Amino acid sequence: MENTSRNKRDKIHEMSNKLKVCIVIPAYNEEVVIHDVIKGIEKELKQTKLSYEIVVVNDGSKDATSSVAHKAGATVIDHILNSGAGGATATGLSYANQNGFDFAVTMDADGQHLPKDVVKGISTVQKLGDDLLIGSRLIDTKGMSRVKVLGNQGLSLITYVLFGINVTDSQSGLRIFSKKALLGLRWKTSGYEFCSEMLWRAKQLGLNISEYPITAVYTEYSKAKGQNNWNAINIVKSLVRRRLIEAFE
Amino acid sequence: MRYILLVLLNLPIILLALFNIITQYKLKKISLKRLQHQFVLWLVILIVLVCSFPVYNLLSGNPIFDSSQFSLFDIFQTTAIVVIIYVLNRQRQKIELNEITIRDLHQELSIKLSDTKKS
Repeated sequence: MENTSRNKRDKIHEMSNKLKVCIVIPAYNEEVVIHDVIKGIEKELKQTKLSYEIVVVNDGSKDATSSVAHKAGATVIDHILNSGAGGATATGLSYANQNGFDFAVTMDADGQHLPKDVVKGISTVQKLGDDLLIGSRLIDTKGMSRVKVLGNQGLSLITYVLFGINVTDSQSGLRIFSKKALLGLRWKTSGYEFCSEMLWRAKQLGLNISEYPITAVYTEYSKAKGQNNWNAINIVKSLVRRRLIEAFE
Repeated sequence: MRYILLVLLNLPIILLALFNIITQYKLKKISLKRLQHQFVLWLVILIVLVCSFPVYNLLSGNPIFDSSQFSLFDIFQTTAIVVIIYVLNRQRQKIELNEITIRDLHQELSIKLSDTKKS
């Protein structure tokens, strides 16, 4: 009897000691792949000692992304209006912050990130104590087209010139956030330019930013869904505008 | 005399702008950094206006910058530009604040609705 109650007590202790991780997946019209993405990350996280919640931020999708994600077991936050990748990510991180998670991870909904890279990132943050860890696709560019590599390198260079942040992959969607980052990090842009702006805000807050290598998987689906280099022009325009505006603020 | 008129017309606008940003800072609506930036911006405008006469004297002998003296129309035109800069700056700040408010509202509403669905 005493043993049973001690076991129960130990289990509760173990449970309370578990680190809580929130996996944030911003999604827009991803009904085809979202189920597999959720199940893939769930399978990998079950093998760890982490306590986790998978949150899909459905950014006003016109397809069945919300119901598919819900059926796959994720918590779904439905955006009433389409707010862009930056807005959806902000909502997911705000949810993680409000619910007292120790870490949050953002990953793409198109299946380009490997679940094992997510777990690797979480353990790296735990070990090194970084506030913002970026999964860089450009440390090892295997599997990426030359055009994509050049486009992303260009945007990283622009990020360095405008904000003084030297990272290899400023546009990566796989990022791990510490509790400190969750508490303080806010940005103003809502499109894909938020990736660079987020790094700038992190620098302003004095957060530690670092990178680790990841493998990006480009299927025909993710290639069709992904950003083309023309969109990079919009991103650059928006970043320059933001930098100029704040020079006068 | 015209240069004094230019300064006199614009001084109230610049003082109003400086007064507004100090009030916003004291009410903790803007950061110290933003206060410093805005202060510098308006002081530069003031310095340009105050220095327009000595600058005119300096440049009048130079063929590239040589032009006739200010007309009364020039004075009103310059004043109108300063007023427009002031109004634009205020409107941009207000729009940005509204955008942030709407985005925060949208976020909170979406999270609250998902909590309601869960329970």
